[in-house]
Amino acid sequence: MRCLRMLVRILVLLYLAGAPALAQTLCQPNASNGYRVRISIKTALGNQAYEWNENEMFLFRATMAFAMRRYYKTETYNVDNIIVCNQTRRVSFWFVVISPENPTMLIPKADVEKAVSMSRHRINNAFLLTDRTLEFLGIYPTLAEPVNPDTPPWLIVFGVVIGAVFAGIIALLVSSLLQKRRKEKGMMEDGQDEEDRQMKGVENGINLDGIYNRGFTDDDRFTKL
Amino acid sequence: QAFYKLHAISLDSTMGKDAARAEWDNPMQFVLACVSYAVGLGNVWRFPYLCQMHGGGGFLIPYLLMLVLLGVPLFYMELAIGQKMRLGSIGAWRAINPYLGGVGLASVVTSMYLCLYYNVINAWSFWYLFHSFQSVLPWAECPVNSNLTGHVEECERATPTQYFFYRETLDISGSIEENGGIHMGQALCLLLAWMIVYLFIVKGVKSTGKVVYFTATFPYLVLIIYLIRGVTLHGAINGVKYMFTPKMEQLANPTTWINAATQIFFSLGLGFGSLIAFASYNQYNNNFEKQAIVVSMVNSSTSIFASIVTFSIYGFKATFNYESCLERVRLLLLNTFDLAEDTISLENVIHWIAELNRTHPEQFASLGGRLETCDLEAELDTAVEGTGLAFIVYSEAIKNMPVSQLWSVLYFIMLLLLGMGSMLGNVIAVITPLSDLKFISRYMSTKTLNGLVCLFCLLLGLGFTTHSGNYWFTMFNDYGATFSLLFIVLIEVITVCYIYGIKRFEKDVEDMLGHRLNCYWKIMLAGVSPILLIALFIFYIVNYIQGGTPTYQAWNKELGKSVVTEYPPYAQAFIGLLLASSVCCIPLTALYTYCKKRNLASGKRERTVSTVSA
Repeated sequence: MRCLRMLVRILVLLYLAGAPALAQTLCQPNASNGYRVRISIKTALGNQAYEWNENEMFLFRATMAFAMRRYYKTETYNVDNIIVCNQTRRVSFWFVVISPENPTMLIPKADVEKAVSMSRHRINNAFLLTDRTLEFLGIYPTLAEPVNPDTPPWLIVFGVVIGAVFAGIIALLVSSLLQKRRKEKGMMEDGQDEEDRQMKGVENGINLDGIYNRGFTDDDRFTKL
Repeated sequence: QAFYKLHAISLDSTMGKDAARAEWDNPMQFVLACVSYAVGLGNVWRFPYLCQMHGGGGFLIPYLLMLVLLGVPLFYMELAIGQKMRLGSIGAWRAINPYLGGVGLASVVTSMYLCLYYNVINAWSFWYLFHSFQSVLPWAECPVNSNLTGHVEECERATPTQYFFYRETLDISGSIEENGGIHMGQALCLLLAWMIVYLFIVKGVKSTGKVVYFTATFPYLVLIIYLIRGVTLHGAINGVKYMFTPKMEQLANPTTWINAATQIFFSLGLGFGSLIAFASYNQYNNNFEKQAIVVSMVNSSTSIFASIVTFSIYGFKATFNYESCLERVRLLLLNTFDLAEDTISLENVIHWIAELNRTHPEQFASLGGRLETCDLEAELDTAVEGTGLAFIVYSEAIKNMPVSQLWSVLYFIMLLLLGMGSMLGNVIAVITPLSDLKFISRYMSTKTLNGLVCLFCLLLGLGFTTHSGNYWFTMFNDYGATFSLLFIVLIEVITVCYIYGIKRFEKDVEDMLGHRLNCYWKIMLAGVSPILLIALFIFYIVNYIQGGTPTYQAWNKELGKSVVTEYPPYAQAFIGLLLASSVCCIPLTALYTYCKKRNLASGKRERTVSTVSA
């Protein structure tokens, strides 16, 4: 009886000692169901960068557990289910997720990816980082949906400008038409046909007929006004 | 009664109101119109490029020399002709010598080609201007692809600014043969551009004279603002230093001198007939000598000023790209060797590359092609000119500035004003001789004529808004005006100095200005300028023949860059047509006049007094 109890105690001790070791063998660099994470805190935060230590690692594992819970919609995942290994000075490490029911079974890569993608925004915010500074190598961030307004904004500005130009052209044409009508009415009352034709020549600014008599140019020089 | 009328008309003339021709309100309007016309896009995008290519500060020597030997005398000559003859280019040249009226016609044809394609640049400026009113400039980032996993491929291979220009602005096809339909956005912007041109010229020089106050002065305001912004940008000093470091050995290269002469020539807008048209609205005694010198000086100083601005922006862009490259290399090293983030900083990246190569050679070798070489000189060396500079390089620099929307709006407004100012000159060069022709002026008023010309140019210009439109644009830009202008101005100078006679010209100038032509003008016009023009002309022909089949840059969407492609045969034939159509106006008109005179002489021998004055 005493031998049996000691055997059980030894087995329990072995199990307790071996379980993390077992877990560690599950997490390896380039593991088939693991992902590598790379964190660039100083790039993201500059002077306000925090130190990466065990507490931050704990937060990471907790956040990953949260992500798994959200994805599977269960409450069975815990910090122990996220195993981390191979941490470097860069601050990069590998992690795997083990199933809460069966500690030897790893959650497949595809499911982990979907879980991470679903909660990516929450994970980033927990660390004050972005998609670029908290990288899951192999999981591509989903880009934001482009905003497509009903009327492209450039058309609005275009419409305003072309409307103003059109109004300007109409205004100029109408004003010169009115001016011409007023002059014509004034001329008809005087009854001077020749001067009328002369005025028309001035208005259009073109040479109606005949060649400009250069004899007048000499007058310019002598009569200074 | 008759005496009263005579007196009234002579009073009108003395008060400056020519009974037969419109006039500028004051000489300032004329000067500003010339400045607005001469200071155009070429000052902003061609001169800085030439400066960079031909040894920076050293290029100023051939440039200023050519200005004095070639630019100012020819400018003076064109103003003199316009002011004396008081007609557009066709009428003026016909008056100088009836056989050489074709020179004016050739000018009109060349100006017509210029009108057709030049306004397309204004359409692009409008497009960019309207797209600047967004929270994120559309050329700052690549658009997301349809399944939201990444960016559009074409944009990834090229840069976002190139993608925006070639795909979203032009929607360019792969070659000149693939025509495609009209890009509606471009067509709308072109319509707007032509409407604005019509608005500015609808009342002839009365409206143009007021507009040029704005189009001539506002670009300078923007340039000054940009100068202040430019020199305060990080890295701008690299660009300015690079530009002004003279490389004197470039002066030995004949291409430098040729390019200096060509730049002065085209920058002043000689040979298009615009200067003749502008001067024809002057008062007879206007002092154009002083004005010619002033406008040429202003034009050249603007070029130099604009290139300082351009190079400070270049320097900023090159430094930005260089530092981004360093950042990428830094990240690559950190990630490959798993070093802590703060071990490598931007300053010691180069040092670390050598260090890591020494300590971990195999791992370093595994980096292979991913390790970029970052070179500031190489970034500064990427010289670009033309539309590539204005719409790609500049907009790339602008998107990295803080408050980029404001700078973008300012910049494209400046481009628009420069372009519109030059457009005014181009259109007036076409309209003035047409409105001087009797058979047109009898049937329609100036407003209708202006409207018809604008409408005609708009409809033909829609061809440049098709998918292959940019290729046709480049063809017109390279061949439409360059060779024909040289020929036209050469004939002009020879006509005025030798056929009309330098003595007669001297007398006309004395009549207008009150003092004789001084030695400088005589020597330049009769001797130096024609020789330089002949040399340029020969060089162009030799270059064209030696160049082989003409080629163009076609945008390849798979590669994300431009590839050199040969023009197809029908396009080459069209180039030949472009060159020949304006040049052969001169001999054809001479022949026509000769035949007409022979018929007149043989048919009407009994008329002893000819009532038609030459």
